[in-house]
Amino acid sequence: MVSNREEAEVNRLENQVDNGGGGAWEYLCHVRKLKLRRSDKVLKHGLSILNDPKKRSSIGPEEWTLYEQVAIAAMDCQCLDIAKDCIKVLQKQFPGSKRVGRLEAMLLEAKGSWAEAEKAYSSLLDDNPFDQVIQKRMVAMAKAQGNLSGAIEWLNKYLETFMADHDAWRELAEIYVSLQMYKQAAFCYEELILSQSTNPLYHLAYADVLYTLGGLENVQTAKKYYASVIDLTGGKNTRALFGVCLCTSAIGQLVKGRSKEENDNSELQSLAAMALEKSYKQRAPSKLSLLNSTLRSLKLSS
Amino acid sequence: MGSELRYEIGQNAYIKLVLHALKHRTSAVNGVLLGRLSGCGAVVEITESVPLFHSQIGLLPPLEIALLQIEEYYSDEGLSIVGYFHANERFDDFDLGGVAKNIGDHIYRYFPQVALLMLDNKKLEALHKGKDRSPVMQLYTRDSFKNWKQVGSDGSNRLVIKEPSANVLLLDYISSKKWQDMVDFDDHLDDINKDWLNPELFK
Repeated sequence: MVSNREEAEVNRLENQVDNGGGGAWEYLCHVRKLKLRRSDKVLKHGLSILNDPKKRSSIGPEEWTLYEQVAIAAMDCQCLDIAKDCIKVLQKQFPGSKRVGRLEAMLLEAKGSWAEAEKAYSSLLDDNPFDQVIQKRMVAMAKAQGNLSGAIEWLNKYLETFMADHDAWRELAEIYVSLQMYKQAAFCYEELILSQSTNPLYHLAYADVLYTLGGLENVQTAKKYYASVIDLTGGKNTRALFGVCLCTSAIGQLVKGRSKEENDNSELQSLAAMALEKSYKQRAPSKLSLLNSTLRSLKLSS
Repeated sequence: MGSELRYEIGQNAYIKLVLHALKHRTSAVNGVLLGRLSGCGAVVEITESVPLFHSQIGLLPPLEIALLQIEEYYSDEGLSIVGYFHANERFDDFDLGGVAKNIGDHIYRYFPQVALLMLDNKKLEALHKGKDRSPVMQLYTRDSFKNWKQVGSDGSNRLVIKEPSANVLLLDYISSKKWQDMVDFDDHLDDINKDWLNPELFK
């Protein structure tokens, strides 16, 4: 996951390189560090360095890292010939390398030769069962073939060993959400919140899942987590502010006819509504009246 | 009566949805269709579309907020929600998933002639090869047994694009990467500066 600042910096560099202002290598390093998926740009700008002997020598031994990065980007863009060429260069430089072997297997995967790719990955795993990248490729292959239950199985097995891998928990949660398995998705977010309790995005996703699950208890808990997002982000997260309003409205519906104990919670909703109004007034004034009618309909339904 | 119902989608609405899918080709995307019933109940006119999300599509809160705002905005123009668009994550996935069906069911309660459109990736890929004027989408409607059935797969043109040259324009936009300017509701929620109405897109 990438912060706003980091993403803005990468976008700035991307713009600069796209418009001929140089800085391709810096851009590529950023993309690699932040693990962003911008394969068409990586391919274009990576090749511009690799195909120019002067530029290539200026990056010294990092040249091989770039070949790897471009090979993977090429596979993502289905430019398999370019990927093959990059892999050939790496094979020559590092004969018998497991890391290059991984790329060869990835190429099989990109071609759609699932059985061969699986064989290649399995044999690499035999030598090193703790290779996280290859384990994730197995998940990706299952997903690509539409075998979501297989992907889930692999991911769960992977997480038994590598339970601190946040990206894997998030991937698993997202697969569960796409299959509407919200309880299981909630469990994943609970794990993430336990290990990184100050990351507001996990609180937000958890709240979204709880609200989707529905039922009074879940929606009440969701509201607490939206509130913690607001707390962690200084009130700047639009989704959490809306979340609070949605929850208050839903709770009102669910307790209709029961006691008035929920009245003090409407203060949180008013504060959230005010924050949203202020925000829209400043940054999206054309949508302000829409916002107001949305908030009105949320208050009315409670 | 239901078997004669035709669906006509306007060029801008159509192109917006495809561009949105192309902008986020590594994930599923969805959108909402707006329009009206006309021609004495013989045609559903889809005149507008709003691209919704490209992440965690199965979650309710962003969807509820989006639908509230969209319904409110377009009711002033005399339009209501008449359909839903979905593009699956994988290229060769032609299944109508649970999320799409649920959202379709929800719209059905207010507009029984609801159209569920799914992106047809194979048709989209083949677009530049031929002079196909039909939309690169599959149409699903709800039958009397509350099931979603694909309509028009027998070649009958139940779903047409209003402007015959829409695919030509779409190809043009694809080559000029017009999708980069596309803003969806996800983008708006992340930064309310961004306008999900995309007012400048086709200027």
